[in-house]
Amino acid sequence: MISMIVNVKLYATLRKLAPKNVQIGEAFPLDLDSPTVNGVLHKLGIGEEQAKIIMVNGTRVTKFDHELHANDTVVIFPPVGGG
Amino acid sequence: MSKVLRINMEDLSHKWQNVKPAHKTYAGRAFTSTILSEEVDPTCHPLREQNKIVISPGLLAGTLAPSSGRLSVGAKSPLTGGIKEANAGGLTGTRLGNLGVRGIIIEGAPKNSKDWYSILVGKDKCEILKTNQYAGIGLYDLIGKVWKDHPTKPGIIGCGVAGQRLLENAGVFGNNIENSDPGRYAGRGGLGAVFGSKRIVAVISDGKGGSRPEAKDQEKFDEARKTFVKSLNAHAVTGKLKDDKGEPYGGLKNYGTNILLNILSEAGGLPTRGFRSGRFDKAAKISGEAVHDLVDKTKAKFGDKAEGKYAHACHPGCVMACSNIVPYEETGKQHVSPLEYETAWSLGANLGIGILHDVAELNRLCNDIGLDTIEAGNTIAMFMEAGIIPFGDGPKAIALLKKAYDEDSVEGRLVSSGAQTAGKTLGVTRIPSVKGQALPAYDPRPIKGIGVTYATSTMGADHTAGYTIAAEILGIKGKVTDPRDLKKAELSQAFQATTAYIDSTGYCLFIAFCILDDDDGFNAMKTTVDSFLGEDIDVTSYGKDVLKKEREFNKKAGFTEADDRLPEFFKTEPLPPHNVVFDVPDEELDAVFKGF
Ligand code: SF4
Repeated sequence: MISMIVNVKLYATLRKLAPKNVQIGEAFPLDLDSPTVNGVLHKLGIGEEQAKIIMVNGTRVTKFDHELHANDTVVIFPPVGGG
Repeated sequence: MSKVLRINMEDLSHKWQNVKPAHKTYAGRAFTSTILSEEVDPTCHPLREQNKIVISPGLLAGTLAPSSGRLSVGAKSPLTGGIKEANAGGLTGTRLGNLGVRGIIIEGAPKNSKDWYSILVGKDKCEILKTNQYAGIGLYDLIGKVWKDHPTKPGIIGCGVAGQRLLENAGVFGNNIENSDPGRYAGRGGLGAVFGSKRIVAVISDGKGGSRPEAKDQEKFDEARKTFVKSLNAHAVTGKLKDDKGEPYGGLKNYGTNILLNILSEAGGLPTRGFRSGRFDKAAKISGEAVHDLVDKTKAKFGDKAEGKYAHACHPGCVMACSNIVPYEETGKQHVSPLEYETAWSLGANLGIGILHDVAELNRLCNDIGLDTIEAGNTIAMFMEAGIIPFGDGPKAIALLKKAYDEDSVEGRLVSSGAQTAGKTLGVTRIPSVKGQALPAYDPRPIKGIGVTYATSTMGADHTAGYTIAAEILGIKGKVTDPRDLKKAELSQAFQATTAYIDSTGYCLFIAFCILDDDDGFNAMKTTVDSFLGEDIDVTSYGKDVLKKEREFNKKAGFTEADDRLPEFFKTEPLPPHNVVFDVPDEELDAVFKGF
């Protein structure tokens, strides 16, 4: 299994799963065993229903098996609303 | 039996009337828009005696239905020249609901009067009081004085110095439950100036002797409202503060509406520095997460003395509690309440200001002076666009806004007059307004459905009129659509009609996040309304009926399809990072209300 590093940003109720001392809006590196969005969720212990909005390099993706490349930035939001 | 209070400011008289049979299902926005369309000449000058102010608590205000105490205020808008309904929480909706007041209609204006008045409404009583001591002062001061003079914890709405000077960005303030802040604003459209034109500073609603409104089928109503509470509490957006493990759960309770700042920035749809970019590099610093952390930090430091809060309710009985109290970092004392997403955007990202304290201070000033924050931020942006003060300079923006206190300051008056007036005066060609009202916190280039709402809404650019963001960005009711998918008309119309219904029930629009996702929640919500009225109300046709009256009013006021358009620069200037323009064709915009 190859390992690969991507950058991850977690917001709102998911922030608790980021390493301590990571600032709001700051990306942290994550070493992946499997190079997909699912790999990120699995590694961080995020359930699919919690990962409501996922963006890879600024573009929304809707497939959990979306393939990732080294140094991609993955942003994950739980369900949010306001206005 | 609900009553209508009709006040004539010309001879300072009042009378109580029965609700007309044809109006019996109308409350909130349906009531204000119906009365305006029946009684006000759409071509009248909005700041002279022919205009009327209509105030109406939502249908369920004062009942135990969750988050149902919203208040609508309507008039012909001095900002747009069209019909206007703005709604807010605060105490007044609940108080009027308990007093059995379906609506207050204020007509006429005193001739050549130098005096200022307040209207005191109580159980079967109304007094028009001369209150010159309430005029010309900040609104934090004013609400304190009113509670001292009337120790029954009344609801208060009215106008600040901006409205008293008839300036077009004057909002209608409302006191919060604690009476610590006048920040519950029916802000948009300059309705505060209509109060000023009638020489009214405050409408004071004393709930003493009131009672809970009864439903036609109380048993069914009670059952439905309980089911509805369960649905709201279970949803990840509207739900409870913490989950069973004690971890943060409900998005609105933990982070407020300002939970949106980061997602809009990441999505590239957050208008930044006067709609020049879709991303703000300092978004995180002024986001809902930042307020949450500041509250926790000051609580840890100051203990019982800390006044900061999230999960704060804007009116009695709100279970979603998206409001907050932003504390001063140095003392833990209250700085402003609430700081909402739209405001963090307008006074923050839109001005390039990424310091939470400065944004909170600008918000506090707007609350004190009596200004709508969305329009105020857009107006300050015009000063920045014109090079009078630099983007990103918090202290200079604060100094500019403070000029609004000074009656003799022309700049102070201009900064209180809305983006269109300020922009034109200062020679700006990129003025982000539709029908004279400035855009809120979502750029219509990458998020096109909201652009359709901005263009076609009867209210001018207004996100709440048809909040397609729920579907487009937040994935509620359907997936996020491809930005190139142009079929937004249907989406916008559906949201606009449903919104008009919700705005009439007294429910806060944020219930939509739950009911669009959860059929049980939707049915329970509808049952509360139907069992309250003893009638089966069709959500969409009720909403469409309201929209039809509003469109008709605007048409008679002189609006045509040419007014249902976004400013030119949205069609010609691509917005980074996605580098897209607003390219929904005009025919598609006109299709939204075809056949209305
Ligand atoms: S959800 Fe927020 S805005 Fe809506 S009623 Fe509750 S506190 Fe007020």
